[in-house]
Amino acid sequence: MDDDEAITRALAGDLDAYEVLVARYSAAAHRTSALLGAGDEAEDVVQEAFVKAFRHLGSFRREAAFKPWLLRIVANETHNLTRSRGRRADLTVRLGQEREQDGPESPEGIVVAADGGARLLAAVRRLPDREREAVVCRYFLQLSEAETAEVLGVRLGTVKSRTSRGLRRLREEVDRELLP
Amino acid sequence: MSSSHDRPGADDRFDELEAELRALGETLHVSTPSPDATARAVRARLEAPRPKGALSRRPGLLPRLRLSPRKAVAAVMVFLAVLIGATPQGRAAVVSILRFAGVEIRVGEPGPLPTGVPSPLPSERRVTLDEARRAVAFPIAVPSALGDPADVRVADGGRVVTLLWPGLRLDEYDGTLNVVFRKDLGEPWPEDVPTIRGWWIQQPHEVSYVPKNGGPPSEDRVAGPTLIWQLGGVGLRLEGANREEAVRIANSTR
Repeated sequence: MDDDEAITRALAGDLDAYEVLVARYSAAAHRTSALLGAGDEAEDVVQEAFVKAFRHLGSFRREAAFKPWLLRIVANETHNLTRSRGRRADLTVRLGQEREQDGPESPEGIVVAADGGARLLAAVRRLPDREREAVVCRYFLQLSEAETAEVLGVRLGTVKSRTSRGLRRLREEVDRELLP
Repeated sequence: MSSSHDRPGADDRFDELEAELRALGETLHVSTPSPDATARAVRARLEAPRPKGALSRRPGLLPRLRLSPRKAVAAVMVFLAVLIGATPQGRAAVVSILRFAGVEIRVGEPGPLPTGVPSPLPSERRVTLDEARRAVAFPIAVPSALGDPADVRVADGGRVVTLLWPGLRLDEYDGTLNVVFRKDLGEPWPEDVPTIRGWWIQQPHEVSYVPKNGGPPSEDRVAGPTLIWQLGGVGLRLEGANREEAVRIANSTR
């Protein structure tokens, strides 16, 4: 069953068809939510996002792709959550914890494999919110600029400028750290 | 990985940094529940009665819901099999029949409600509203209270048009000649809604489609509370709204 058919059936109230969509995009939704800062509440955020997506399925433009439309709802839900509890502090704690763990797998989320990666990740974490979101979408989630614009609810030009500001800042940060 | 950064002469392009970020992204593992578990949990949320106010944000939700939907379906199936075995002529005890606007409503002792996935109407296909208007012989009315439907289907050679909005279904059909839908329900009787000269069925009930070319009713499914009314020669059945909304929508249908 392709997305279009699943959506058609879901619009008619067929929950089996909607389950197909949920299962198909579950991993992408969890990853988006976790990397945008939901932490261990990603599961709850994702479930709620899928419920909202179902209830607003009628506003989905049928010629568009389902994934970025869904991820925008996920991003909004994540945003609501982090705004309500103070995003920066939480993300700092999470990544800080992760960096101290040496095990190959953390039960609750993000694992940083390499030390160099950890340094770059720490720099991403310190980016201003908007630049960080753009960088996360473009490189960690590997979304196109157009998809990123849809997911973050901003114009394409805004994605371009936030991304390049973020990249410039990251390079400065990493270069500075590597100075003797 | 990061040592590539201190190379002198890095220009304003970010190719290398971009590649590094992508590579870093691939090492970031996010633990996720299995897709099926998420699908079940979402379904359980959708099927749960909606309380006033926000849904709970409790992390323990998933395990709590783990045994619900499929086992429940299995239990219903077994129960249904027992019932069917016990009352082979389940529908024989009909006491009253109401025929109105292409709908035959049998009130009496209905059989058990159908289970499983509802199948579409015969030769149902998705169309645009304009295509639907060309495909059917009767005028299609759109409730102004709802605006354009999210989805439109035409079935059985243009005999029925189905307009869909999220959570709402409006079937329109030639309601002057034959029975198009049959509904089996128990007490209470449908309620007369004089303002729109229609009938309100408040309880979930079995609805089946009576094909154009005769034959037994098919495509049984469970319908929620439904409003039935007539506009000119067109029969309409609206499903998914409460009584007040349904009447308001009916009043806005021209």
